[in-house]
Amino acid sequence: MPAAPDTRTATAQRKDEKFFLLIVIALALAAGVGSWFAAAALSRRDQFHGLAPDKERMLGDFSLTNEIGRTATRADFDGKILVVSFLFTSCSLTCPEVSKRMAEIQRLIANDAGVQLLSLTVDPRTDTPPVLAKWGARFGADPNRWHFLTGKKAALHGLIAQSFLAQDHGDPFNSMPGNFTGTERIAVVDKHGRVRIYFDGLRNETPAAVVAEIGKLRGEK
Amino acid sequence: MKTIILFCGLLLVLGCKRESSAPPISAATNQTYAVRGVVQAIPPDHRHATIKHEKIPGYMEAMTMDFSVRDTNALARLAPGDEITFTLVVTADDDWIENVQLVGKSGVTGPPGWHVAEPELAAGDLLPDAEFTSELGQEIHFSDFRGRAVAFTFFFTSCPLPEYCPRMNKNFFEARKILLADSNAPANWQLLSISFDSAVDQPLVLASYAGIYRGLNPAHWLFAVASTNTLAALAPKLDLNVWRENGGLSHNLRTVVLDAGGKIFKQFDGNDWTPAQLAEAIRAAGK
Repeated sequence: MPAAPDTRTATAQRKDEKFFLLIVIALALAAGVGSWFAAAALSRRDQFHGLAPDKERMLGDFSLTNEIGRTATRADFDGKILVVSFLFTSCSLTCPEVSKRMAEIQRLIANDAGVQLLSLTVDPRTDTPPVLAKWGARFGADPNRWHFLTGKKAALHGLIAQSFLAQDHGDPFNSMPGNFTGTERIAVVDKHGRVRIYFDGLRNETPAAVVAEIGKLRGEK
Repeated sequence: MKTIILFCGLLLVLGCKRESSAPPISAATNQTYAVRGVVQAIPPDHRHATIKHEKIPGYMEAMTMDFSVRDTNALARLAPGDEITFTLVVTADDDWIENVQLVGKSGVTGPPGWHVAEPELAAGDLLPDAEFTSELGQEIHFSDFRGRAVAFTFFFTSCPLPEYCPRMNKNFFEARKILLADSNAPANWQLLSISFDSAVDQPLVLASYAGIYRGLNPAHWLFAVASTNTLAALAPKLDLNVWRENGGLSHNLRTVVLDAGGKIFKQFDGNDWTPAQLAEAIRAAGK
């Protein structure tokens, strides 16, 4: 039967083809998965570059009241790297999430005395020192590391408008009190009072990104 | 004597704590600042003035804001556009300006660099009238209740947080119970629960929600809903904040007692007040 060797050759050939195909598929898969990982890693890095200020912003002068009722002025924080967030305690969705990220940052910088966390209320008539102290306790705020500032509404809104956030005077019910936009952000202020960068306070990756930024700023003169 | 010892003990504790605390927080003391600015507006009562002021070193950036005066004559001869110098006095719990001097007329009252929040009302101020839709589908106004003390608060029916809207209506329920049970209490009072969720809280929804808190007795207590326009006009006057965030509704708590003439008698901020306090304010406001 002359067909037999042919059949055998054909079978061997098909086996070779199959093997080749498998290698191609494996290579393609490896390349695909690899580049997907690379792309994911890149985009992750992009997302956590943070957001630069819309213009040059410096921490303005202020004299406010902290959560234990003491006066807190800008001079109290001179030379510190500041991590700043915005809140009002009646806010049920955004603010607790941002405060959770702040608590995580507090935990990560627990040994860094050069860093101070500040949360500014936009609703000071409601957010009196005791109300802010209660909020702080809910998130495990360390009274030495994380202060909550209240005071005159005009002074707080003026400070936030000047130093941190833009305002949008469209729908009065579409933004946090004071018509601020970007209130979910966590701002990082360098030792000289320059607002350097914002991170999204609603993202889980933000605390690590803030700490990495602090590491960079600490090395600066 | 016991109190003094306790107080000293507290000071000691605070003193120790302060030494170990990282950020030095300056103690509250009376401070004065020399300030220069331009008058933007002076309300007829001459009790305060809106001033666009220069930077106050160590205290505040340049901005436009309201300052109060203790001596109403201090603002007597001033008008918008006047350049002034003055002394800002800041104590632990108050601040005011004095020694106001006219130094020139700039004529500039231009738009402030940032949006100045509309001043909110205080006790004694007449609350501008506002229109609502009641649980019965009728248009009602604050002015419909003249002659009665009116206590109103804000809520929305799908508010999930027990210490927010439900607490307000529960407190209203308790305050009503106190007043109904008191044979000496005046009869001219009205409770008003106002929803700021006009998209959902239509009259039928309000009526069935009202039943949860009011039971079968609707005496002295009405539920209503504010339109967006009513809310936009009313909210700044009461420092009421409502934020439609991501499909939810965040809001602070404002509960207000009006006297029989529609003037603000007392305001309860937040949720840290009792039904007895509210009942007491209603009694006093109705007199």
